[in-house]
Amino acid sequence: MPRTSFLPLLGGRLLMVLLAVLTAVIFVLDTITNFEIAVAVLYVAIVLIAVQHLGRRQVVMVAAGCMALTMLSFALTRTGSVASGLVNCAISLVAIAVTTTLALRAAAAEAAAREAQAQLAHITRVTMLGELTASIAHELNQPLAAIVLNGNAALRWLAGQPANLDEANKAAERIVRDAVRATDLIKRLRGLTKKAAGKAVRLDLNQTVTETLPLIQNEVSRHRAVLRTELADALPRVHADPVQVQQVILNLIVNALEAMKGEPQREVTVLTALGQPGEVLVSIHDSGRGLAAAQPDQIFDPFYTTKPDGMGMGLAISRSIVESHGGRIWAQAGVPRGSTFTFSLPAARERQ
Amino acid sequence: MTEQKPIVFVIDDDPAIREALDSLLRSVGHDVRCFASVAAFLDAAKPDIASCLVLDVRLPGKSGMDFQKELTHSETPLPVIMMTGHGDIAMSVQAMKAGAIDFLPKPFREQDLLDAITTALDKDRSRRIHVAELDALRARLATLSDGERDVVAQVVLGRLNKQIAGDLAISEITVKVRRARAMRKMQAGSLAELVKMIDRLATEPSAQGH
Repeated sequence: MPRTSFLPLLGGRLLMVLLAVLTAVIFVLDTITNFEIAVAVLYVAIVLIAVQHLGRRQVVMVAAGCMALTMLSFALTRTGSVASGLVNCAISLVAIAVTTTLALRAAAAEAAAREAQAQLAHITRVTMLGELTASIAHELNQPLAAIVLNGNAALRWLAGQPANLDEANKAAERIVRDAVRATDLIKRLRGLTKKAAGKAVRLDLNQTVTETLPLIQNEVSRHRAVLRTELADALPRVHADPVQVQQVILNLIVNALEAMKGEPQREVTVLTALGQPGEVLVSIHDSGRGLAAAQPDQIFDPFYTTKPDGMGMGLAISRSIVESHGGRIWAQAGVPRGSTFTFSLPAARERQ
Repeated sequence: MTEQKPIVFVIDDDPAIREALDSLLRSVGHDVRCFASVAAFLDAAKPDIASCLVLDVRLPGKSGMDFQKELTHSETPLPVIMMTGHGDIAMSVQAMKAGAIDFLPKPFREQDLLDAITTALDKDRSRRIHVAELDALRARLATLSDGERDVVAQVVLGRLNKQIAGDLAISEITVKVRRARAMRKMQAGSLAELVKMIDRLATEPSAQGH
């Protein structure tokens, strides 16, 4: 049975019931005990739980409700000294108000920090990619330019009257030498990306998915989309670099969100499942426009993009990450609509 | 005047590019001199023959862009063709503003380079002819005596012999003699030609021959 959760509400209904029960308990205790016992201070706990899972306005409403109940309890309580009851009631009200204010402020700061961090990560990635591309382009351009020039020179030496075979020969030799140089460069580049492959560890993909989703939550809300997960139980672990797997998942979700721009129904589902024996699958399904391309493989090529401001690198990078881990990535048309991107990672051997 | 083979100077720090350019340019009949840096180029002899410079932007030591600017403002403004491994529009605009003949992003079409070289050599050739003519005029002017020079200075202002004679306190005959001698020394066929020559020397006071 797959676990299902609605991430924006995080089991919202269950939480609301829990909060209601807790509130009721506090209210009853506060009312039946005498004035000297300030059970109402416990409403602070309600506020603190609410702030973790609810929006700002909802938290304020919860706090107001708690304060109202505190005063109602005061009115209904029959035993004890009214004077100390009044003081206790006031203390409780102040405690609830102060806690609400501070907790909301802390939550806002935390959200801002998370957003800033996500932005920074994005900027760093884009800048690094730009610099890397520029430097690779320059390094590759040199031998390529030399090859082109030598080729032209050879043609001209051959076309001369009489043809200068010696010079043409030398130019051809230089073409071979420079082509080898370009190849070496590409080999070194491959080595570099392998080195940057990061540290592979034993990874629970369900956990990776769960940890990744909060990073993209802001983006999901901005697109007014719903993010769901369907995580299979008892998945074998995989051997992979968690940061890179996260990057693939993020890339695919961002793509899914952009594919749903302007669609009436915007829903992204992240699924984990068992694939073929020894293989774990992660799928990102969206309710977007679907794949326009006739060849779904082409979309993984570098610089292939359907977005006006796209670089066409997201899927290409995702593919190279997945393949460097010994997995595969593919796209399918969704049922009944949208599209599904799936990648597989080989399961780790069940041994320490 | 027999035309000597023009020289194409090349500065690029990449030996592969230097060899390739050397071969290509020799194959079309140019005299090529390649250098790995600006410093090496500056040390080399530069004969007084039409020449141009094919210059890479990214160089160790002084950059190609800086050197191009320097060269443009020097007394021997060699026409420059810039090439670059990864150029942007801003860079090419800067190079063209500083007077580059062309700005070629590598890898470029060889015909573009050869065309640019032809343009550059034509430009340098006509600049050298221009400088040589000015030098010759200046040399002729130097052979004039003080008296002749005084007369010429007045003549080109359009003054009459009689007025000049009065101003310089010499006879009209002397004015005529000196004027005729000056025309002969300057190799001016007519008064108009003489005026043009003096005008040309006056408008280019900074041009130093070599």
